Amino acid sequence: MKPLLKRIYNWIDERVEIDGLVEYMGKKYVPVHRHSVWYYFGGVSLFLFIIQVVTGILLLLYYKSGEELAFESINFIMSKVQFGWLIRSVHSWTANLFILSAMIHMFSVYFEKAYRKPREITWVTGMLMFFLLLGFGFSGYLLPWNELAFFATKVGTDIAGVVPVVGKPLMIFLRGGTEVNGATLSRFFGFHVAVLPGLFTVFLGIHLLLVQRQGMSEPLHIKDESERKSMPFFPNFILRDLTLWLLVLNLLAILAVFFPWELGKKADPFAAAPAGIKPEWYFLYMFQTLKYIPGTLWFFDGEVLGILLFGIAGVLWTVVPFWDHKSSRGEQNRFVNYLGLFAVMYIILFTLIGWLA
Amino acid sequence: MKYYTLFIAAAMILALAPKESLFANDHCIECHQTAGDKPSELFKHDIHFQKGVGCSGCHGGNANAEDMEQAMDKKAGFRGVPKGDDISKTCASCHSSPEKMKSFGSSLPTNQWEFLQSSVHAKLSLKGKEHIVQCITCHNAHGIVPVKNSSSPVYPLNVVKTCTRCHADAAFMRSYNPSLPVDQLDKYRTSVHGLRNAKGDPKTAECASCHGSHNIRSAKDVKSKVYASTVPETCAACHSNVDYMKPYKIPTDQYEKYTKSIHGVALLQKHDQGAPACNSCHGNHGAMPPGVESVSKVCGTCHALNADLFSKSPHKKAFDERELPECEFCHANHEILPANDTLLGISPDAVCSRCHTDHENVKGYRSAGRMRQMLDSLEASERFAIHLVENAEQKGMEISEAKFKLREVRQARLQARTVIHAFNEEQFQTTIHQGSIVSLAIVQEAKNAVDEYYFRRIGLFIATLIITLVALLLYLYVRRMEKK
Repeated sequence: MKPLLKRIYNWIDERVEIDGLVEYMGKKYVPVHRHSVWYYFGGVSLFLFIIQVVTGILLLLYYKSGEELAFESINFIMSKVQFGWLIRSVHSWTANLFILSAMIHMFSVYFEKAYRKPREITWVTGMLMFFLLLGFGFSGYLLPWNELAFFATKVGTDIAGVVPVVGKPLMIFLRGGTEVNGATLSRFFGFHVAVLPGLFTVFLGIHLLLVQRQGMSEPLHIKDESERKSMPFFPNFILRDLTLWLLVLNLLAILAVFFPWELGKKADPFAAAPAGIKPEWYFLYMFQTLKYIPGTLWFFDGEVLGILLFGIAGVLWTVVPFWDHKSSRGEQNRFVNYLGLFAVMYIILFTLIGWLA
Repeated sequence: MKYYTLFIAAAMILALAPKESLFANDHCIECHQTAGDKPSELFKHDIHFQKGVGCSGCHGGNANAEDMEQAMDKKAGFRGVPKGDDISKTCASCHSSPEKMKSFGSSLPTNQWEFLQSSVHAKLSLKGKEHIVQCITCHNAHGIVPVKNSSSPVYPLNVVKTCTRCHADAAFMRSYNPSLPVDQLDKYRTSVHGLRNAKGDPKTAECASCHGSHNIRSAKDVKSKVYASTVPETCAACHSNVDYMKPYKIPTDQYEKYTKSIHGVALLQKHDQGAPACNSCHGNHGAMPPGVESVSKVCGTCHALNADLFSKSPHKKAFDERELPECEFCHANHEILPANDTLLGISPDAVCSRCHTDHENVKGYRSAGRMRQMLDSLEASERFAIHLVENAEQKGMEISEAKFKLREVRQARLQARTVIHAFNEEQFQTTIHQGSIVSLAIVQEAKNAVDEYYFRRIGLFIATLIITLVALLLYLYVRRMEKK
């Protein structure tokens, strides 16, 4: 360490005693095996979250919420603000890549059974963050107040309104009234920049703390001590992570320049909905499923049944560490594998059908 | 003696009656004539009488019975004087039956009652029990003669009088349609049609020529003969008929020209009900070609600004002195084609060159040439701006503001086309200049957007290069570190 850096380090250490933490990190090791590559998606997700926070704050400097201002302010950001186009496109692309990365991270953790004891809380906080992420996507989509966003929000909140008992009040709460209008926009803006980031940060803190405290989970198949390999978390894993982050940054820059995120037409609440309204890709498999379910199934309303089934599936998925006892005992659980595989296939298939429809 | 006289009278009636007369034993007319009542007197000249339809044809009863009570017995089908819609229904009992009409040797159409029921006159009267108009309202009850007979109230020279019995009666019309004017007759009398009609020309248009007879509908009714978009066709029914119009020695190609004109295309093809039809310029009831001096006033009812600018322009005086028909002189009358820039300038097809040449009215000649150059220059500038904006758009750049401003350039060009009617070069130049300034600003914005496009790509290339390089160095550093 160079004298200047050493002096700075010492200055900080004298005050906040980071020596212990650095020593701890120096002793922390990351398992190395044929599935190690999946560990990086947690880091990529974190990087994308940081980008979202930074670009989100920059957008906030110019964005104006309100029926008469939202669309115009985004237009202003895209056309007049220096690098506004880049910031907005990066923010929109990152939102999508973030959800994709988080999904890959979630499924890799699931298939590795990394949620098993003692990492149940890490899994649950991760799942909660994933749901918040979907909330980020849904609320952020409306903020430009363009035609597609307006009608997608209308459809989305309509679906929420179908949920038995709580549906109607939930829909009115989300919309700030019975219709999607300026009140909905203000509300979604509040959720997007205050409520969701606040909650997300709390869960992220717990999640990261637990990951640091408990280290990375090893796959079940590594039983023999001789098979066990590892690398130091710092600096090896961190530097590898950093390399990947840079490549992701490159990808984002290319996407933002070659495929700038379009703004579309301003929302007109009195206009007819354009043909082929679809939600964002990460909601598409659910949307497509609801389209296939008949109006009435046995004695139930088809749509209600579909929403309930997705709800139950989501809850079961979130509490998997608490019912998959086999994995916790270190045994293989084929049912969990098949269930996960089914979920992945289902999501891919129905997303593709929805996309092509 | 009395019987003798009656016998002679009966013999005379039989002799005067048609050969298959049924009135040999028609005691109705016999008695009523004897009593000297007017209807029976009028009925003698009635076409129905001549065709063998007796009183009982409409009033029912037994015409053969000598006894009045027997003749007018309800059991014998006596109806008396029909009231309300029964009047028209009585007429329709024959006039709506092709077989019956054929049996009388008539070739009249049999749809009059059907038409009348669907007409504006079929609205309920104030009493609320019958149509406003019955057959006899226009045709009379007794003494009905064929339409071609000059004494018929529906003979072309009499129609106007018949219709205006109600339509010129403000008190009567107020009861049914207070907003409908009652001055049609006054206007008609001033029209070419009315003047000729008054002189006894039955060929000229009267009320029924344009509005129809039994099937008259409100002008707002799309099926009406005088519905906005049907008016040209209605007028053309006579005015495009070469044989019919021959005696009047006026052109018959107005309709053909009109259909090609900007007004005709707007009304007949684009279904713009606000577009002018024949009556918009010529008037309807007072139809007459507008006078030379009033052409600009007529056109100015819609093209107000152009007319105003023209009336203040130096051309106004010049046109008046030469008795030139203002707007029409440059734009034609029936075949008004969309005005384009070729009208202006000094080329052979420019209208200016009709009066202004390089040796006659030279000042205007030069001015026209310069103004055309300005207009061409603005158009070229607009085309260039559009090209650059499209180019920037194709490159995915956000250029909606510049695109929106293109409207201002187009607006300036359109405004210049209006301002030209002032024939004031300075005023024209100011308008063109405003458009040129906006056009230049758009060109600059579009160029900036294209520059920004390339800047983004170069920036991306440099940034990607640096990031990739750093990532590569990091990777190599990690590899080297792990080898140690």
